[in-house]
Order: sequence, then C-alpha cells, then structure tokens
Amino acid sequence: MEILREYWPFLVPLIMAELALMVTALVHILRHPTYRFGTRAMWVPIVVLLQIIGPIVYFIFGRGEDA
Amino acid sequence: MNHYLVFLKKELVEHARTYKLLIMLVVFTIFGITNPLIAKLTPELLASFMPEGMSMTIPEPTALDSWAQFFKNTQQMGMIVLVLVFSGVLSSEISRGTLINLLTKGLSRQAVILAKYSAMLLVWSLSILLSAALTWVYTMYLFPKDHLGVGYLLFAISCMWLFGAFLLALLLSSATLVQGNYGSLLLTGLMVVLLMALNIIPSIKEYNPVSVASKTMELAAGKIDPSSVYTAVEITAVASLGLIALAVIVFRKKRL
Repeated sequence: MEILREYWPFLVPLIMAELALMVTALVHILRHPTYRFGTRAMWVPIVVLLQIIGPIVYFIFGRGEDA
Repeated sequence: MNHYLVFLKKELVEHARTYKLLIMLVVFTIFGITNPLIAKLTPELLASFMPEGMSMTIPEPTALDSWAQFFKNTQQMGMIVLVLVFSGVLSSEISRGTLINLLTKGLSRQAVILAKYSAMLLVWSLSILLSAALTWVYTMYLFPKDHLGVGYLLFAISCMWLFGAFLLALLLSSATLVQGNYGSLLLTGLMVVLLMALNIIPSIKEYNPVSVASKTMELAAGKIDPSSVYTAVEITAVASLGLIALAVIVFRKKRL
C-alpha cells in the first residue's frame, strides 16, 4: 500500500498503457476469425496473461490480413 | 514529389491501421515511465532480496541512473521492438502483390522507398521523443535536486535517434535484397551482430556505427566529450544515406 500511495503517478499511466494495448489486441482477436497462425483459444490467453509482450507478439506475428 | 507525398500519406495511414504506430507509442511510453521508476526502486529491491543480517551500502540513485536506464532500454528492447514492428514493411506488400497495381499505374519506385523510409523515421522520431520527454518529466519529479547537462543529454538522445535511423535504413535495404517476411529481419540481425563483433577491435571502434548507440550513456554523463564520437556519427549518417540509395537502386531493378 505504501508503494501504491507513493508511486501512483507512475503506476496509473503504466497500467492504462498496458490495458489499452491489451484491450485493442483482444478486440482485434474477437473481431477476426483467422490468424497467421494459432487459434482464438491460443491468442486470447496470450494477450490477456502476458502483459505488453502478448499484444505485441499478436500484432506483429499473429494478426491475419484484414479482409 | 507528388507521388512521394501521396505514398507517404498512405504509409502513415497504414502504420496507424496495422497498429504499428500504437505499439511503438505504447512501448516507448512504458519505457519512458519505467526508466526513472526502476532507477529509484533498484536499491530498495536489492535490499529486500538480501539475506537476513547481510548489509550492503548501495549508493543513493540519481537522475543519471534514470537516464542510464533510458539509454539501456532504448538501445536493447527499444531497437528490437523497432526492427520487429517494421520487419514486414516492404516484403508484406510485395508478397501480397498490392504494389504491382500502383507501380504499373506509374508510381515511381524511388518514391515508394523514400516514402516508406520517411514514414518509419517519423514513427521512430515520435516514439523516442515521447519516451525521452516522459523520462525527463518523471526524472525531475523523482530526483528534483539533480541537475544534468542538458546539452550532453540532448546530444546523447540524438545519437540514439541516429542509430535507430541507421537500423531502419539497414532494414529497408535488406528488404529489397532478400525475399520473404523474415529474410530482411535475418539479414538486418546478422549485420548488427557483425558490427557488434567488429566493435571488439579497438581501432575500428571509432568508426563503427554501434559506438553511436553504445557510447550514449557516457555521453549523457559527460564522461566523454561529444567530439570523440563525431567520426562514428558521420559514418552512421553517411551509411544510412548510402543504404537508402542502395535500396532505391536495387528496388528499381527488382522483379515483383
């Protein structure tokens, strides 16, 4: 709690940035049925559980072509 | 010129739509915020991992430690993300065949390469500026008493930017030379490894583009004079222009 009170100016924007990335990736996964590889059941946990790295890996390697 | 502007606009829209811009900005925002935070918290973290009864005097962190984090992160993770994000910049369009229509309609190939490079450079400049600005603000907040030489700092940040610009030029020229999505990534990686290996030889160090990035920390601290990297800076700038010229020449002759 002590750390939270002292460092909230850091933690709030950090968490917001992480969430923004996660939500954009998640929306993209749910809207697009095809991926360059893998399935929806694989990408959703990757994006949700692996903060920052998950969404980046999805957007760079997993994202299918937009129809 | 007109072709160039039209294609540049198309590239920027594409970077936004394919989430490249988002990834770059978010990642560099996160770096910008965590740099000062990690510098501040490292002594506390170390202390909490120390076994019971053991004590170690850790020097109080300063603003310089925060900038050291900035240069370390940008140089390692930052460059990796930069190259990964833009790895398919030319190859994806070649493999999809979307360029052929535009080129047969009279779009000049030179404009394609120049616009692609400019668009990547713009995204990279925005990202590093954002990261540096955040690090700056939060460093002032956490270490209000420390003062750094602003001139040295700006020069070091510019060096880091230049190295990123060099990497992008390397990536784009690799993309014209080899086929496929991962070929250009591989070639760029190999070239960087080669340059790093060459850095072991002291007489080459002064001329090696890698020095531009690796010396940034000492530059920011004012430990070395900016003039000691001038040669490397000039070589990096000339090499970047040369690589772009090479990309234009190769791409003109390339069969799509």
